[in-house]
Order: sequence, then C-alpha cells, then structure tokens
Amino acid sequence: MSRGSSVFYWTMMSVIGTLIAIYVLFPIFWLMLAGFKSSDELARLPISFWPSEPTLKAYADLFASGTQSSQLLDWPRLISNSFIVAISSTVIVVFFGALAGYAFSRLSFPGRDLILGGLLISRMFQGAALLLPTYRLMNAMGLQDSLLGLTLLYSAFGLPFATWIIASGLREIPVELEEAAMIDGASRLQSMVIVVLPLATPALITAAMWHFVGAWSEFAFASILIESTRNSTVTIGLASFVDYFSLEFNRVGAAATIIALPVIVVFFFGQRYFTRGLLQGAVKG
Amino acid sequence: MSPRSDRMLAYWMILPVVAAVLTFIVGPTYDVFTMGFTRFRMGQPMEFGSIANFQSLAADPVFWVVMKNTAIWIVGGTIGCVVLGLAIGAYLAIDSRLTLVLRAIILLPWILPDVVTAMAWRWMLHGQVGIIGQTVSGAGLTERPISFLGDPDLVMWSLVAVVVWRKMPLVALILCAAIRSVPQEHHEAARIDGANAWQRFRFVVLPHIAFSLTAVTVISMIWITAEFTLPWVMTGGGPANSSHIMATYIYQQSFQFFNWGIGAAMSVVNLVVLMAIVTLYLYIMRRSWRSEADR
Repeated sequence: MSRGSSVFYWTMMSVIGTLIAIYVLFPIFWLMLAGFKSSDELARLPISFWPSEPTLKAYADLFASGTQSSQLLDWPRLISNSFIVAISSTVIVVFFGALAGYAFSRLSFPGRDLILGGLLISRMFQGAALLLPTYRLMNAMGLQDSLLGLTLLYSAFGLPFATWIIASGLREIPVELEEAAMIDGASRLQSMVIVVLPLATPALITAAMWHFVGAWSEFAFASILIESTRNSTVTIGLASFVDYFSLEFNRVGAAATIIALPVIVVFFFGQRYFTRGLLQGAVKG
Repeated sequence: MSPRSDRMLAYWMILPVVAAVLTFIVGPTYDVFTMGFTRFRMGQPMEFGSIANFQSLAADPVFWVVMKNTAIWIVGGTIGCVVLGLAIGAYLAIDSRLTLVLRAIILLPWILPDVVTAMAWRWMLHGQVGIIGQTVSGAGLTERPISFLGDPDLVMWSLVAVVVWRKMPLVALILCAAIRSVPQEHHEAARIDGANAWQRFRFVVLPHIAFSLTAVTVISMIWITAEFTLPWVMTGGGPANSSHIMATYIYQQSFQFFNWGIGAAMSVVNLVVLMAIVTLYLYIMRRSWRSEADR
C-alpha cells in the first residue's frame, strides 16, 4: 500500500469512527445538557449549544418536590420506590434463578430441555399484548397499585433470563469439584452452596446486573398498575412530563439524567459482565 | 445420592421459576385469548364465544392504519437495524484502538431506559426548538424547521429512525463478532487470488456470517414487535392516530378508552404476529442445531 493511500485510509477510519461516536452519544448528551440550562434559554432561538449560565435549578426543583406543594411529583420518593422494586426483584431473581439454574445445568430430569426452552420463549411474549390480562390478574390478586405487585411481576419477567445466564455459567464449572466434595461427605445442597455458587459469582453478577437495569427502566407495566403518585416510579415520573411539555425541558433533562445515571454506572463498572450476558443470552431473544 | 431423589430435588428447584412464568406469562396469554372472544360492556364480560370484538376491530378505520404502521415499524425497523448494524459491525471488526473503544460505548443506546431515549429524541425532533429541525433549516435546506413528530407523513419514519438507533448497537456487536470469527487464512487466500475488499466481503465474509445475519434479522423483528415505550412516550399514537402501532393502540383502547373488547382483540392479533415470528425463529435455530450435529 502506498503512503498516500494509507494516510487516506486512517483519515477515513477516524472520520467514520467519530461519526459513529457522535451518533451514539449525542442524543443522551444533548438531553443531559438541557438539564443545566434555564427554561428561558431553552425557549430561545437560535439554540445555544453549551448552557450560557449553567444552573442546577432543575435539579433543585426535582429534589425539593417532596417538600413543597408544587405540581411536580415527589421525586425523592419516586427514586426510592424504583430502587426498592429494582433491588428486591433482583434479589428474588438471583436467588430462585440460582436454584433453577443449578437444576438445569447439573441434574437430569425428564423434560429438562423442553422446560428450559419454554422459559426462554416465554420472554418473547412479555410485551404490550399482556398489558390487559396482567392488569386483570393483578386486580384479582389485590396487587394493583402496589410496589409488592410490581416486584413480583418484574421477578416473574426476569426469572427465565436469569435462570438461563446462571445455568450457562454453571456449565463452565467442572463437575469434578462438586463430586470431590460429595465424596468427602457433603450433601448435594451443601456442595452447591459451598463449592459451586462461589465459583459461579460472575454469572450471578451478570444476572443481577441485567435484571436490575431492566427493572429500573421498565415503564409499560408500571404505568398501568400504579395509580397513586405515592407508589409511582421514576419512569412514570419522567413520562408524566409529556402532559405539560414545552417549557419544562430542563426538568426533563435533569430527571432523565437521574434515571440514566444508575444504568450508566452499572454498565461502565460491569462492562465485562454485561458483554458476557449479551453473548450468552441475546441471541436467545 | 440416588437419581430418583436428584430428580425430585430438581423439580423443587425449578418450581418457583416455572410457577412464576405460568402465573404471569402463560396464564395472562390464555386469558387475553378468551377475552378476545368475549363480548364486553363497560369493562364487564357479557358472553363468551363471540367474534364481535374482531368485527368491530375490522370495522374501525384506525385498525387498518395501525396494521399499515405496524408493517412499516417492523419491516422498516428491521431493515434499518440490519443494514446499519452490518455496516457499523463491519467497521467495528477492523482492529484498531478506536474501534476497541467504540465497541464499548456503542452499547449505550441499548442500555438506556426507553423513557429516557424517547424524551431525548422528542427533544431533538421538536418542531420549534429541536436541534435537528433547527440545524436543517439553519443550513437553508428547509424554509421552516421540520416537525418530525407533528407531521402525519413523517412521524412513522421518524419513529423507525429512533427504534433503529435504539436496537442497532447489539446487531452491530453480534455481526462484528461474527465477522471477526472469519479465519484469517480465508482472507489471505482470497487476497492471493486477487479479490478486492468488496469481493472479499461478498464472497468470504458474507457466506461465513450468513447464519448470524439471518438469526439477528429475526431477533430484531421480535425486539421491534415487542417495543411499546418508545412510540408511546414519543407520540402517543398521534398526531390524529397517524403513528399508532399495535402496542400503542392496545394501550390506548384498554387503559384510556376502556374498550376492553377491542384492546383484547388487538392483543390477540399482536400475539398471533409474535407467534409467527417466534416460530420462524425456532425454525431457523433448529436448522442451525441440525447442521451443527452433522458436522
């Protein structure tokens, strides 16, 4: 390759790479910037790129929303509700997913592959078509408008994928380790808890991260099941800005930043685990 | 320990997961099918075994708009994801420090909560103060800023563009991994035979990734069919019902208008479409397992 064409090649590579980076990052970056602008600035044309007088007023409004009689929802409460639901359903999903994952990867029983396949396929039906019957079911069980109901629902939705990830992780651990423990007199459950699960920590973390992010971000089912502002979650709060829109984009930007932050933090600190989950599970729908 | 007690232990261990899926997914799926064939009045079930819901659905002019939009949504979104995902995936497959960084950050759209993505794009596509419309008109291309979400002729295509942004990253990464798994010797052999870059892509890479490409196409279809939050938060089906897809229409009929019969009938149609795509997916995967067994 001649020198000229290789300079051309690297220039092209960098230009394309920069364009992809802008394409991927700009929308969220732009929304986050809005959170630091004043509502006057946001309504003004031409659009200013950087905030002319950066302000935290939108954030202050959101965090003061619990104490004053504003039309804003109580954001500190929304945040804690979302954390409660996301974390408790993550605990449930990892615990029962580990049990089932162990059975699917280590024990043989009739119908094993069929049941695991059925669980995975069930994930593909968790969409808008189930909104109406889920609403009826939760009402029949008296679980409408409750964080407990939301937690149980998210756990049920998250369990198949968590089971799958944990089962895949367990398959990579040599059976001999366990057999050795059992020869030494440990029961199956003892060897599972003492020998296998500690080695499966990466798979458990992967399952936990995926579930946490999904539960924290969920909107559709939360919006039909939660009726009172007391039990609202952050996604309901952000979507409610649609009702009185144009002047509040600084608050939308601030709220969106608050919602995106935990997800981005989990993503960047757990990149390794995230990719692992993707490669194992994504192609399964 | 005996195999028999192992078997009992296994059933106990999977019981919670199976029970949860039966209660919250299989049960509701069955329920919505019966609801679809039940006549409702004011949210009260009247009689079962009626196709009245489907008749009123078919008589509703919005239903046909919904079906057309859903076709644009699924087909347009899938083609967009796969074409853009293949192009970006091929770029990411090149070894360099830049692509290494990009492979990490490209997943950002994939992990962001849908409500956040919807707001970000609503803001950028805004008719007066949206940065995209302002930039285009500022460059003198249009007289006034385009209202991407306010124009019935544009709104579906704007939504498709956003769902492509949202779902493309994983397609790109999967295809990137597939392209990187092409053995180096194949590239070398083709180069010695005098193949140029395009010919190497067409005759060496493409046949190698054909299976991943097919699988990822069907999976994108499933993802996009299941997507609800993006279109709902961005347009709510408007302006004037011009951007309703099945998911948003189900939501509006069931929870804003309380037309449970229509909502259930629409859900049944949605499930039938999903089942068709899932069957296609299983069929493709089955052939892959068989070909692996032959090897």
